[in-house]
Amino acid sequence: MSETASVTTPAATDGSLGRTVRWLYVVGGGIGLVASFVLMVEKIALLADPNYVPTCSLNPVLSCGSVMATPQAAAFGVANPLLGVTGFAMVLTAGAALIAWFRPPRWFWLALQAGTTFGVGFVHWLIWQSLYSIGALCPYCMVVWAVTIPLFWYTTLHNLERGHLTGRSSGAVLVRYHSAVLALWFVAIIALIAVRFWDYWSTLV
Amino acid sequence: MPKEKIVAGGRAWPSANVLLTVGVVVVAIIVLGGVLLTGGDNQPQGSPTAPNSVLVNKDSHRLTDGGDAVTVVEFLDYQCPACAGYYRNVTADVEKDYGDRITFVVRNFPLDSHPLALPAAQAAEAAGMQDKFAEMYHALYDNYAQWAVTEAGDEISDDEDRARAAFDRFAKDIGLDIERFHTDMASDAVAKRIEADKADAEKAEVTGTPTLFVNGERFTPSGETFGEVRQQFRDRLDAALAQ
Repeated sequence: MSETASVTTPAATDGSLGRTVRWLYVVGGGIGLVASFVLMVEKIALLADPNYVPTCSLNPVLSCGSVMATPQAAAFGVANPLLGVTGFAMVLTAGAALIAWFRPPRWFWLALQAGTTFGVGFVHWLIWQSLYSIGALCPYCMVVWAVTIPLFWYTTLHNLERGHLTGRSSGAVLVRYHSAVLALWFVAIIALIAVRFWDYWSTLV
Repeated sequence: MPKEKIVAGGRAWPSANVLLTVGVVVVAIIVLGGVLLTGGDNQPQGSPTAPNSVLVNKDSHRLTDGGDAVTVVEFLDYQCPACAGYYRNVTADVEKDYGDRITFVVRNFPLDSHPLALPAAQAAEAAGMQDKFAEMYHALYDNYAQWAVTEAGDEISDDEDRARAAFDRFAKDIGLDIERFHTDMASDAVAKRIEADKADAEKAEVTGTPTLFVNGERFTPSGETFGEVRQQFRDRLDAALAQ
């Protein structure tokens, strides 16, 4: 397997999830960056022309126009996608550096932990707002949700396993069932969406 | 859809994790898919018929009263875009063209996903208390853009103040006593009428709007466009009248 090839000297402290994390940063950071970028472009188009209908406004439920026009879309006073463009670009860069065999010190991992923890918290607040306050879903935003959760999850697992958080390796059970936990997490959110918009899905027929 | 499965990267115990992950995903697909499919199957067919005792009450609102030969019952939500589309393309003309031959009953089925559907139903029912139900029904749909959608016109509105102001304008236009209109809108009697309609809708296995019954049989159009639906509905009425 190609995996054995990558287990050269530095990989000794790489942990079982090192490879996953590196590639997840590149792929997830890249997807998140594209989604945030598109949202920012749409937001600018909407500002320039209030009658502009964003490309992702498909119907009353899947509608980024109504989501983008809410106060929650600029939670910190600036458009949320700005945070996404900045944050995901950093994650993507970190992933590329890791693939290029940069082996960062502990503070670097703690910074990634802080960033992804903020990201996942913010995303869950946005999910809550989108479902129960705004009552509409924004497809690009959902892409951001979908990549932020694994970015946080695998950063946390990696940091637990490598002992960056507690000083010694921990979280073995979570590491062992890493993708099962992630799958449950996704299923829970999909179920919330399905239940919340049930009326709408049923009127489509 | 935010749905993805990360394939196990752990080297030491891939199988237990992979099995669990696959298990979670499969169970989720079965449950969600099963609910969607059975739900989806029920929507178009539902129960194909419902007894008139469920569909029409003595005090149900009638837009037209053309005798017992053909009774059309529509369960509607005033803010539902599809209902407004039906009104503009199908039912408003039917009311005019067939009004002397059919009895057209409309009943409330406000959906939770439309924030102004309930206040609109209350406005129609409150107008009904002053014998102006049909007038308010027409005002609500004829002026749909003034209250049900945002000013840009492309989204369902949740601006209740704007909607209530519009209802007041309609009420004045059709000559209602505004004070009484406001009292009635908030009254238990109106709330109970709407609840009773919803309860009957559930008995008739109505799950979406608009749902139409012709002489107790559900109308399930196969047309893709309003033009086709309009023709199918008229053919259906003609057939029922010919019987």
